[in-house]
Amino acid sequence: MAIIKVLRLSLILLGCAASVWLLDAQAPAGGASKGGPAKGGPAPAVDFSGYWTGNMQEDGAERGAGPELVDYGGIPINEAGRLWALSYDTSRLTSRFHQCDGYVAPYSVRAIGNTLVWEERDPKLRTLIAIHWYSQTFEGHRVFWMDDRPHPPAYAPHTYMGFSTGTFVGNALRVETTHLKQGWFRRNGLPESDQATLTEFFVRHGDHITYTSVVNDPVFLSEPWIRTTDFYRQPTDPGAWLFPCDDSEQIVGRAPDQVPNYLFGAHPYLDEYSKKNQVPLIGALGGPETLYREFESKLASVSDAQARELTHPAPGPSATSVAVDPNPHDGEIHVLPIRNNVYMLVGDGANIVLQTGDEGAFVVDTGAGKLTSKVLAEIRRLSTKPIRYIANTSFHADYTGGNQTLKNAGSDPSVVGTFLALNSPGVGATATIIAHENVAARMAGALGNNPPTSPDSWPIDTYVTERRRTFHNGDSIEMFYMPHASTDGDSIVHFRRADIIVAGDIFNTTQYPFIDVANGGSVQGEINALDAILDRTVFEHSGEGGTLVVPGHGYLCDEHEVVEYRDMVAIVRDRVKALIASGASLAQVLAAKVTTDYDRRYGANSGQWTTQMFVTAVYQSVAMYQSSKQPPGK
Amino acid sequence: MSRWSLATCGTILLAVGGALSAQPPAAGPAGGRGGPGRAGPAAALFDPTGYWVAQITEDWKERIHPAAKGDVGSIPVSAAGRREAAAWDPASANSCKVYGVGGILRMPGRLHITWEGNNLKIESDAGAQTRMLSFGTPSGQAGSLQGVSVASWDRLAPALTGFTLGGRGGSGGSLKVVTTQAGPGYLARNGVPYGAKATFTEYYDRQEVPGGPTLLVVSVEATDPDYLNGPYWYSVHFKKQADAAGWNPQPCDAK
Repeated sequence: MAIIKVLRLSLILLGCAASVWLLDAQAPAGGASKGGPAKGGPAPAVDFSGYWTGNMQEDGAERGAGPELVDYGGIPINEAGRLWALSYDTSRLTSRFHQCDGYVAPYSVRAIGNTLVWEERDPKLRTLIAIHWYSQTFEGHRVFWMDDRPHPPAYAPHTYMGFSTGTFVGNALRVETTHLKQGWFRRNGLPESDQATLTEFFVRHGDHITYTSVVNDPVFLSEPWIRTTDFYRQPTDPGAWLFPCDDSEQIVGRAPDQVPNYLFGAHPYLDEYSKKNQVPLIGALGGPETLYREFESKLASVSDAQARELTHPAPGPSATSVAVDPNPHDGEIHVLPIRNNVYMLVGDGANIVLQTGDEGAFVVDTGAGKLTSKVLAEIRRLSTKPIRYIANTSFHADYTGGNQTLKNAGSDPSVVGTFLALNSPGVGATATIIAHENVAARMAGALGNNPPTSPDSWPIDTYVTERRRTFHNGDSIEMFYMPHASTDGDSIVHFRRADIIVAGDIFNTTQYPFIDVANGGSVQGEINALDAILDRTVFEHSGEGGTLVVPGHGYLCDEHEVVEYRDMVAIVRDRVKALIASGASLAQVLAAKVTTDYDRRYGANSGQWTTQMFVTAVYQSVAMYQSSKQPPGK
Repeated sequence: MSRWSLATCGTILLAVGGALSAQPPAAGPAGGRGGPGRAGPAAALFDPTGYWVAQITEDWKERIHPAAKGDVGSIPVSAAGRREAAAWDPASANSCKVYGVGGILRMPGRLHITWEGNNLKIESDAGAQTRMLSFGTPSGQAGSLQGVSVASWDRLAPALTGFTLGGRGGSGGSLKVVTTQAGPGYLARNGVPYGAKATFTEYYDRQEVPGGPTLLVVSVEATDPDYLNGPYWYSVHFKKQADAAGWNPQPCDAK
């Protein structure tokens, strides 16, 4: 027995020694590896928990009281970013829809105020799930997921804080953020697009954090914008963590389609900062050159008159969109649960929305019809009941392409057994398609010059007034007619209880609005329709969340994206209007490049809807309005 | 292993770990990581060498050219410091006092960092300055623009007290440099002053941006009983260059 005990103890000691050896083998290797951090096992977690305050000893005035107008030096903006900022009139902040705009993550981290950081750990395994970074200003609550989860697909919503994943690299916490909303580089109008991504490094030096942010914005930057910031630790809870905001009337009587903006080259305070601070205008206007020592010579050599050339679009071809396409284009239908029993189906042309419930599926739009069998399979997977209603927001083919198949796959038991069935045998054997009367008329070829589609695809339950309503699956569903917007037959669909608005072709995140003048569309009707959506949205906090908006094409949105889109259309309209008022022809309007600051986000020089077609549509509908003095859609 | 064996093993590890963790950390000549016998590049926690170009993305107005006289920006300057700044002569904008240890890192330009034996040499083309950083032993000349510096590698390490299990140290760390005894200089190009009693504690970190540039980030705490109200923290960054492109030493004005 003694021998066995000794043998057993020896084995345990051997096991312990092996464990120690293994642990040691996982320790970092000595010496620096070439380039990056030293090799070894995964870096251990660094504790950032606690109360932190941003040090305002750099850019203090800009980050605290706020920046001066036209102070863009040291920011690698491109032409689009500069022109966007120069068209920005700060009175835009008085708009109900901008008063509570939150800060996007890159701005939030550098904003004035305190930050609370805590860890979220698995209650049993104690593994690190997430690090929470909560900023006092606008209650900016960021979550750095530390559990290797993937980033959401491109059709998922964007938020002010974005979606962040973190990892420890050496002594740093590295965080990657995507899905950001459009927001500020600076509060003086310098925009950050919704295509921006953020890489950050947090390094603790005792009770101090050195923070590095790298913003990549292909829309508004020429190169990554890198900044460093410092935080110091607070020993006690600074308190005051809430930041409520409700909008109110600030400018009474301003028409809802009026968006304060300056025309190109007409910023009234262009050189105010420059003169006050003795900074040559070429420096104040920013750009990648301004970051480097070599720019010092340019500061002395470029006159303010020469610099003013940068306040107009440069000649040359228009830029095209660099935005990520939210449609995976992989031949599959992707399902995004939105809220309650409502889903967004992505992959076959325009977005499809599905509401499920005991009364049968309610489908809004049916896609392009190329993947309808897969659409149907997804609907059947999500709904045990047949499709009962189909609503069409537009007659365009990418919204109605699946009508026939989905209609025939469904049924409408609400009419089976009624007296209607006595006179019309077979009624209710298919789903009912609902739309504005002009959708049916245009699909049937009775209105306009479009060839008729299959009669089986036509809406049979149409409406001609401003509203169509039904209560289905426990929700109040309303369709609102949007006259002369994209066409003369557009509707939006509002699921009131789920608080989701399906915008159809009126609102896209992928291109300029398809203003189909030949089929009754107009820029003013488009703006009115976007305002009508905004009349029905309520944000949850800091201008985001709350009512969700499904665009015709693109990622799931809320009112913030609609507001920015509305602003863009209204500003382009204003520019075209001003040119027409000065006697410009269509060719001259096109040559003026009135969309330069938006082209890298929405522009196209080829395909079905180009920048030139959009500007032409704006020109035509503005010119029509001015000649008839009759606003389309009224 | 059975539960009994695991428990026994844990007890033994606890005892061994406790005994080990009760020992003070091994500190070699490089300080922190290296341990006895390691120094110079072999003790480095990252590779700081190469050409690095400054990107002026913060306090741009103050850093890219002299701000207006008396504009101290966000620097926590005392009343005495403000008086000094107000007395600055714009004709001395290229004074070497701008290129002292307290201002050099905020200047537009490039750094060239190399090893000289076990010491790091930091050359700056702006003002044609050179700093020598030795590890363990202070180096430099008291009263000079760059003062007397001592460098160390500042590695993340667990608290080494009592009995512990785990608590593995980090694989990376910072280069820490503490500089004292520098001659008076300027924190900003427009003559915001620091005095001879100022202390500058710098942390250098190298960051690799996935798919992007390699960065050298330097965070500095400046204290100065003469001209600052409290600690002045600032951080700057440099982008790694593949070569010496743009390297253009320009001497400062010694007057």
